[in-house]
Amino acid sequence: MQIRLAGIGGQGVVLAGVILGEAAAIEGLNVLQTQDYSSASRGGHSIADVIISKEPIYDVMVTEADVLVALHQLGYDTVKDSLKEDGLLIIDTDLVKPDRDYVGAPFTRLAEETTGLALTVNMVALGYLVAKTGVVKKENVEEAIRRRVPKGTEEINLRAFRAGYEEGLK
Amino acid sequence: MRYPFPVGKADFIQGDEAIARAAILAGCRFYAGYPITPASEIFEAMALYMPLVDGVSIQMEDEIASIAAIIGASWAGAKAMTATSGPGFSLMQENIGYAVMTETPIVVVNVQRSGPSTGQPTLAAQGDIMQSIWGTHGDHTLIVLSPSTVQEAFDFTIKAFNLAEKYRTPVVLLTDAEVAHMRERVYIPNPDDIELVYRKLPQNEEEARLPFGDPHGDGIPSMPIFGKGYRTYVTGLTHDERGRPKTVDAEVHERLIKRIIGKIENNKHDIISYEKFELEDAEVAIVSTGIVSRSAIRAVKILREKGIKAGLLKLNTIWPFDFDMIEELAEQVKKIFVPEMNMGQLYHLVKEGANGKAEVELISKIGGEVHTPMEIVERVVG
Repeated sequence: MQIRLAGIGGQGVVLAGVILGEAAAIEGLNVLQTQDYSSASRGGHSIADVIISKEPIYDVMVTEADVLVALHQLGYDTVKDSLKEDGLLIIDTDLVKPDRDYVGAPFTRLAEETTGLALTVNMVALGYLVAKTGVVKKENVEEAIRRRVPKGTEEINLRAFRAGYEEGLK
Repeated sequence: MRYPFPVGKADFIQGDEAIARAAILAGCRFYAGYPITPASEIFEAMALYMPLVDGVSIQMEDEIASIAAIIGASWAGAKAMTATSGPGFSLMQENIGYAVMTETPIVVVNVQRSGPSTGQPTLAAQGDIMQSIWGTHGDHTLIVLSPSTVQEAFDFTIKAFNLAEKYRTPVVLLTDAEVAHMRERVYIPNPDDIELVYRKLPQNEEEARLPFGDPHGDGIPSMPIFGKGYRTYVTGLTHDERGRPKTVDAEVHERLIKRIIGKIENNKHDIISYEKFELEDAEVAIVSTGIVSRSAIRAVKILREKGIKAGLLKLNTIWPFDFDMIEELAEQVKKIFVPEMNMGQLYHLVKEGANGKAEVELISKIGGEVHTPMEIVERVVG
């Protein structure tokens, strides 16, 4: 499965991709994660690709995304053409105005309401993605979050992830 | 001993990180470097890990000093490594020659980015293939390995140390920004399951007196270690078997250089590693190395689905080069395609190997992105 996460610098898109990849690795699946971002540390597009498969992976980037998660209009506009026709588009409904069918929620607002921090939007979106697709098990993502987020922020990030997950189950 | 990362299990890490961990597991205990994108993460990991395994990681003033330091460390008995990218690799060329001439086992990692000069620092390329072989001056040879996955980055780093130690030679691990920065699931073996090679040490005074001779008849002399009781002279000047400069004696020079080149060339079938995919009945072949091989494998699968009998020869070793194997391939197939992320480098080696027995066509791509499988397919279909 080819999953692409798109946003702008500062939204934690790459970290969300790394955590999703780590969760797949914990499950024993083959996984590849690459990124593409502008040289600005804030603003500018930020794209994380995750390819998960039981077979060996030869691709080095997403070419035909099965799932595109867009957290910002700039990220969406940069890569929207890579989403398959029958692919799943997941968006932050406050920040992205798509030109095709989609699912989603106001992830950034949800993040602020849940943790008080807009920057946990990446974990909210990741939770939503995992609930909607079942691509990896929830508990493996939680393990990956514990391993990968800065020490001391585990609980905040897990809370954001679970809020997104619950939203995705609705 | 305890390692500063999990062993005997899979992990999800970048290529640069895999290279650092493999070096530690290969027994590397001295790292000297100067930060440069996209190789800096190797240095970062080494700076973190080395103190925890009683090793040394040191930042030098530049890349010239970095390679000089690892050559010194190797003569002090350590397995030693440095890592850089194009601009730094250019600076290291003179001392790569010094390591060849003094038969010093070292590992030099070059994480390729687009050049020339500072070029595109964050983007991948394969523009240093020829430089990795021929960048230093004078008659010489060395070993160049080229990984295409994070697992191979790990495995080939171990191999690089083993070959450096076995043949007393510098080994270049030639990778690129894409492999360096991608994360993949990688199996980190248990240290007990990793086969490690150590340089031959002199067993007696007589052997120690011939650090540049051929006391074993295999072209690979034992290497005395500074501080271990033998008097040794090490110089980049042409030297005799004892290491004494003999700069105007044609016979000494010829004997030395022919042995240094011979110890690699005569053992090239031990050194060279490659993989064949669907080549048995192939009518067209793709020859590739490094990151492009991934797209090439997919291209072969797509071509086979289209009914075209395509196959792939993936070169894990770039140098020494098996020209005879390419000629055999050229006798079998009608045409050979060489996709690479430069304006044509591996292409020239393949063309020389094919020896006119098959047409050889370059599929060049520059600018920082890897060929897509379809870009290769379209050129093969024509």
